[in-house]
Amino acid sequence: MFEKMIDKSMAKSPWIFHINAGSCNGCDIELVSVLTPRYDAERLGFRLTGTPRQADIVVVSGPVTLQSRDRLIRTLEQVPQPRVVVSLGSCPRSGNVFKGSYAIDGPLEKWTHVDVSVAGCTPKPEAIVAALAQATQILEQKRKEMRK
Amino acid sequence: MNTFMQNFPILAIMSLFLGAFITSLVARHSQKAGNFISALSVTLALGFILALFKPVMLDGQIITYWLGGWEPVAGWAIGICLEVDALSLFFGLIVTVAVFVSCLYSFTYMNHDDALPNYYTLFLMLSGSVLGLVLSGDLFNVFVMIEIMTFTAVALTAFRTSYEGALEGAFKYLAVGSLGSTGVLVGIALLYSQLHTLNLAQIAALMPVTQGSSVVLAIAFGFLFIGFGTKAFLFPFHPLAADAHAVAPASISLMISGVLTKCGVYGIIRLTYILFQNANRPVVSYLVTGFGAVSMFVCVTMAFNQHNFKRLLAFHSISQVGYVITVVGLSSALGLGAGLYHAMNHTIFKGLLFLTAGAVQHQTGSLDLDRLGGLSKRMPKTTALFLIGAASISGLPPFNGFASKWMIYQATFNAGLLHHNLFYLAVCVCALLTSVLTLASFIKVTQSVFFGQLPKEYEQVEEVPLAMRLPMWILAVLCVVTGLFPSLVQTYLLTPAVSAIANIPAYVDAAMGAGYAADRSVPGGVIASLPVTNTWTPTAWLALLFSVTCAVAIVAILGSPKDRQHEYISQMGEEESAKYDSFFSGEQAVYSQVGGSDLFWGFKHNWRKYFAVMHNWHSGIVNDYTLYGVAAIAFVLLVCVTTL
Amino acid sequence: MNILLYNLFYLLVFPGLLFCILMGVLLSGLDRILVARMQRRVGPPLLQNWYDFLKCMGKETIIPRHARRTVYLFAPVVGFGALITISLFLPVLNGKAAFSGNSDLVVILYLLTLVSVCGMVGASASGSPFAGVGLSREMVAMISYELPFVLVMLSVSLKTVALNPMGAPLTFSLTEIWNYQAAHGPLICHWSLIPAALAMLFVIPCEVGMHPFDVAEAETEICEGMLAEYSGKPLAVYKLTHMVKMYVMCALFYVLFLGGLSTGMAAVDVVIFVLVCALLTFLTMSLPHAVCARFKVEQVFQFYWTWVAALALVSLVLVFFGL
Repeated sequence: MFEKMIDKSMAKSPWIFHINAGSCNGCDIELVSVLTPRYDAERLGFRLTGTPRQADIVVVSGPVTLQSRDRLIRTLEQVPQPRVVVSLGSCPRSGNVFKGSYAIDGPLEKWTHVDVSVAGCTPKPEAIVAALAQATQILEQKRKEMRK
Repeated sequence: MNTFMQNFPILAIMSLFLGAFITSLVARHSQKAGNFISALSVTLALGFILALFKPVMLDGQIITYWLGGWEPVAGWAIGICLEVDALSLFFGLIVTVAVFVSCLYSFTYMNHDDALPNYYTLFLMLSGSVLGLVLSGDLFNVFVMIEIMTFTAVALTAFRTSYEGALEGAFKYLAVGSLGSTGVLVGIALLYSQLHTLNLAQIAALMPVTQGSSVVLAIAFGFLFIGFGTKAFLFPFHPLAADAHAVAPASISLMISGVLTKCGVYGIIRLTYILFQNANRPVVSYLVTGFGAVSMFVCVTMAFNQHNFKRLLAFHSISQVGYVITVVGLSSALGLGAGLYHAMNHTIFKGLLFLTAGAVQHQTGSLDLDRLGGLSKRMPKTTALFLIGAASISGLPPFNGFASKWMIYQATFNAGLLHHNLFYLAVCVCALLTSVLTLASFIKVTQSVFFGQLPKEYEQVEEVPLAMRLPMWILAVLCVVTGLFPSLVQTYLLTPAVSAIANIPAYVDAAMGAGYAADRSVPGGVIASLPVTNTWTPTAWLALLFSVTCAVAIVAILGSPKDRQHEYISQMGEEESAKYDSFFSGEQAVYSQVGGSDLFWGFKHNWRKYFAVMHNWHSGIVNDYTLYGVAAIAFVLLVCVTTL
Repeated sequence: MNILLYNLFYLLVFPGLLFCILMGVLLSGLDRILVARMQRRVGPPLLQNWYDFLKCMGKETIIPRHARRTVYLFAPVVGFGALITISLFLPVLNGKAAFSGNSDLVVILYLLTLVSVCGMVGASASGSPFAGVGLSREMVAMISYELPFVLVMLSVSLKTVALNPMGAPLTFSLTEIWNYQAAHGPLICHWSLIPAALAMLFVIPCEVGMHPFDVAEAETEICEGMLAEYSGKPLAVYKLTHMVKMYVMCALFYVLFLGGLSTGMAAVDVVIFVLVCALLTFLTMSLPHAVCARFKVEQVFQFYWTWVAALALVSLVLVFFGL
């Protein structure tokens, strides 16, 4: 019973850790606006944490620059299981306008499995909320799998 | 009286002094034999003192021994006397236990040093002199013992001459310490000129008649008070302790903080409660409590600035002695009981802390708080012992520090209430605050020595051998036992000791013959006996704390076995992966430049003016320290002459 | 046998474990909703903190390489145990505490310190540099609130003892304080203690580590500070401790300043008690959280040692002169 309660609450209390992998700060601002009164992601239990150790959902923005690559990988590893990776904006998906640059070592999928991906430059906050809500479902699923 | 028992005090003292001489003869040929003699003599001393426990503590006897059988004739005590009442025995017990533990620890701890025969000779002489001081019934003998004690302690402080500052620390101790010794000597001379006797009991009997009419006696009191205050390293003398502790071997630090300072405390109690019987006069009370409270607070703030493990402990040591002196000055039974209790606890936990510092020094060769770190990985048992000691000195509940500190708060609070005096209330606030600051300071030590990241150079450090851990465990167990059963401590140790102070006629009669006190109408004593109801009873909720902790531990930590296995495997299998690195914004651990090097920044920033003054004040120049000492003597004398 | 059962009941159900957790979850949930409403948000569900706790229980526990395993895992649990023990000393209902003695207040003071210390030692054992910074801030915060706290404690004891004809011995007993209030009305109605009550209101958020004073866990500056390396079950215990601490501090205020009230019906008393706790949560935690930005650590120290300590000191002096 306790385990089932945990499964249920897994989707109700997703904590976000945000990694900026060379983003232009556009997506980052939109992510913050998701938590502001207008969109209020906290009503779904979202909370921004300061450390990957406490995170359930890792949101990555930016086209994975050479400088940030190692840090990104290391930080992703430090997130405890079960975890969900969400890519934010077009950059981590394709490299966007930076594609082909010598300073880019993307896309994000090259380095980690991406569970949910939000497109757009920048994505609308509504889209981000929808993606995060989807991520919570995946989180619960992963938890159930981990238990088996 | 049991005549056989009468010999025990002198036997205890002689076994230490004889041991000192035999050791110096034997150890030149065989160090093992020297060690054996040292161990034998401290064990004998401990045994003799323990044997006195039943008659003195339980039956309330006072044991006197006249050297050479020179008993008093016609009401005048000419011969030298040992007089053991419960107060003396209380301190005697503290001394012998500390000496025993320190000696046991030295055998392994000192094994890297040469000139060991000298070490044990000096060590045993120091022990013998301290024991002689607390058991003596003769004021001049007290002075002789103080001199032996000071000089052996100075020699032992400088024992590791290769250490930077060893000779300097010893020299400061010698120079400023002799101010105190001189004070005691002058005080004795003045006292003798007025009362024509040196016997403690006789002085106590003659004092009430002559006191009040004589300025000379007031001056004598001032000199004696500051003399014993020097031995306890009270406020203006505290830099000496810091310099001495930082360089002395850890076993000697234990002796200096656990035993030598207690002699000062013993002297002040004897002086104010029995000899001059003026502890209940407001001026004396303010003087003693004031000195204690200032030492308590100044030293704990000074500890915030330290970067040397043992220097930091030294400042805390004076701070804790400050607690003891503070409550001794309250002239209430509760206060005195609290003071004695804390004096005992201080010897135990501070000894433990110094020994753990010694263990760290022995294994790593360093005491620098900025260089050490992460030793809990390599020395887990020492870490556990240190945590017990730190929790005790900070006064966290299950340990002995809490029990005595609680009595201290109660005593100061009650004094403020009964005398309707804001000063005592302020002292109570100061005591509570000092306790928090102590706690904070020890968290700093924990963080910078035992936790945090292990520097490369200490990755091969090993745990200390069992022979060194054993003395530490003895003290750690004592920490817990005296904390868990305060009512037993009170019944068997504190109440007899306080009753002994409360009953001056008995003390006088034991030495001078029955009826002597009654003839001179000696008053009963400045305080009443200790009420029994005032103990703190931890057992009820302690069981609770334990059960809650266990229950939650089982549920939360162990969890389901599957999870645990998962953790285990992942930790073993992926040892090298970044997953188990400390999080530092994705950087590798070696690049992490963030650190809590100055853990008290927020506090020190607001107090920067105070700390700047303190920094200038602790100049490290022996002339300055002597000047402070002279100023303190002048101040005390001024107060005594104008008001007593 | 009966006594054992009673004790188990105290420990596990009424003033103890279950009630504490329940109140902690409710009050912290309420706090989050209140803050959200003040910011014109909808806010999370009332049981959000409970979900957070459960979720953390279900996560993987990573023990970092630099951490000292035993201390790292057991420090939060010991802290939580100490906190539950405090609740047994609080006579929240009819002046009857599960345990009482003549030293309640000092014991509570030290147990609260023990809770903070466990946090700090755990953080220290995790080996993270951020945790090192966090614990240094927590330490300074602890020194900050301790002075006014001590002054408040002394003024309350002094007030309740001053008119006690029996004199001194039972100075720090909460039961005595409750009885005094039952006889003379709650202490907050005595004008000389109003500054102390105000000071205590300021002490509560710092003791709990709520927003304007959460210098030790500043998530944006030092990555959650003391909790930087904590994950999974020990983190869950920390979160629970945080919640229960909110309740315990509110209850302590209730006992110290609003005690002695009783309608005779236990159920009504409990409801009143819960309402008072909710009100205190709003006043001391939600309101400053929504209104203020986080203080710097030296500002916290300055604030507590000047303004708040002065308030408490005024009370102490007034009470001392028998007002």
